[in-house]
Amino acid sequence: MGMSEPTAIVFVIDDDESVRKSLASLIRSARLRVETFASAQQFLTTPRTNVPSCLVLDVRMPGLSGLELQKRLAEINIDIPIVFITAHGDVPTSVRAMKAGAVEFLTKPFRDEDLLDAIQQAIARDRVARLQEAQTIDLRTRYESLTAREREVMELVVSGLLNKQIAKKLGTSEVTIKVHRAQVMKKMRADSLAALVRMSEKLGIAHPREL
Amino acid sequence: MSNKANLAHKFWPLAAQLLSGTGALALLTLVCFRFHANSTTVALLYLIVIVLVSLKSSLVPSALISIMAYVSLDYFFTEPLFTLGLNQTLDFVAPISYLSTSFVITRLMSRVRRSIEEQKQAEATLREARSELALVTRAMTMGELAASIAHEINQPLTAIVNNGSACLRWLANEPPDVAEAQEAARDIIRDGNRASEIIRRIRALLRKTQTEKAALDINKTIQDVVLLTGNEAAAKGVEIQMKLAADLPPVMGDRVQVQQVILNLVMNGVEATLSVFDRPRQLVISSSQYKSDEVIVAVKDSGVGIDLNQLERIFDAFYTTKPKGLGMGLAISRSILEDHGGLLWATANEGPGTTFQFTLPNYK
Repeated sequence: MGMSEPTAIVFVIDDDESVRKSLASLIRSARLRVETFASAQQFLTTPRTNVPSCLVLDVRMPGLSGLELQKRLAEINIDIPIVFITAHGDVPTSVRAMKAGAVEFLTKPFRDEDLLDAIQQAIARDRVARLQEAQTIDLRTRYESLTAREREVMELVVSGLLNKQIAKKLGTSEVTIKVHRAQVMKKMRADSLAALVRMSEKLGIAHPREL
Repeated sequence: MSNKANLAHKFWPLAAQLLSGTGALALLTLVCFRFHANSTTVALLYLIVIVLVSLKSSLVPSALISIMAYVSLDYFFTEPLFTLGLNQTLDFVAPISYLSTSFVITRLMSRVRRSIEEQKQAEATLREARSELALVTRAMTMGELAASIAHEINQPLTAIVNNGSACLRWLANEPPDVAEAQEAARDIIRDGNRASEIIRRIRALLRKTQTEKAALDINKTIQDVVLLTGNEAAAKGVEIQMKLAADLPPVMGDRVQVQQVILNLVMNGVEATLSVFDRPRQLVISSSQYKSDEVIVAVKDSGVGIDLNQLERIFDAFYTTKPKGLGMGLAISRSILEDHGGLLWATANEGPGTTFQFTLPNYK
């Protein structure tokens, strides 16, 4: 973990107070921040700090169960990696949870390394997801700073047309296209045509055409 | 039963009924003739005999008695005496009323008898269903109880394991965090006590469960269980034999609980013989008098047997030698018997297999 990265938080949701408290102590002892919740509802209604995080979630709870919370979070587009813990590790439930994207499914009692490894893996997954999301947002902001004409030029550039062809297509001079193109590269912070193509792929605007 | 035997079975009671009816009729005739009773009185007295015979008997003897009564009425009591013939009104009315009486009454009685029989049958079926239900319910409660105990105790155990790990980590950290480690250790103690409290509560609950101890026919109880399990055992190629001592005194016990114990021992015994292929799969259940005031039941199997060092542990809760066992059956069985003032133990057979024996005190 680099010093510059924000400290991750582990959210623990278990209805059993003893188990909850013991999990908190164990996770803190591994130098991780932890917040505990007695129910899925309590977790949903508490505002969360926007830092890399993961859920340690009990499967069987009164009210909203662990699996139901997993479903609910997916519905409201909250992507947070989940480590399930359960008193009775029945196969169908674990298969369901894993298929829905859980990081790990642990049967109580579990080895501390197993839990902490799963948590580290979950946080790493969340960091990557956050990084990707931040990059996408950043990219979109840059793209939105382009003028209509610049966007047009960008689309034609990444589809593989030469400046001359673009100029002809847009009914303007090659020099003008060169200026637009330089502006696009600068605003998008692309240092090569290849980089610009990758960006347009991420933005979902690249449709390389057959010439 | 063969047809011939069936006929003989029906014939003798009928003959006896006919004979006693004829006897009663003859006696009545003798008395009435001696005292010169008038024909109407005799006709009514005969009717009483016919009604009585009809109540006890079936149509054929009853009709025969009716005819005899009519003949004797006509011959001995209506003018002209000592002749047969339809001379008076009574000669017409008597046979008709006699025959119709015997017909109606025997019909009604057979219907009544049939409905009593059906009712008895229904009661027997109901009794059987009830005792099966009791067993199933009890078995289910045991399963549910075990699952609930497992969950309740697993929670504090999980917390103890977590706190133990956390405690070690706090101490291993640089610098060690003694305050956190102490807190985790305190929680270990608290959760250990909590688990123990759960066990104490369950024990109290088991003790509180209502038992209905009454005089119990132990042989009947064994037969009931064998009746229930015999088919399943036979399907698995296991033969169940019963060697029950006659004239055993009733024991003091809760029928359902004792059934449960026997069922458990029988099912265990059957299971123990399943991996046996080189000798007959046998289960022998015997009952006999033990000391002066106890009855002993032994369930002896020809199965794989149990290691000597396991023989006592098999009665521990959650100890099991079966891949899918809960390890509760023998523990609960032993506590049921101890609650009854009896004992349950296991011994290795001289030959292959194991014998489980239990005692129950006589009913006083």
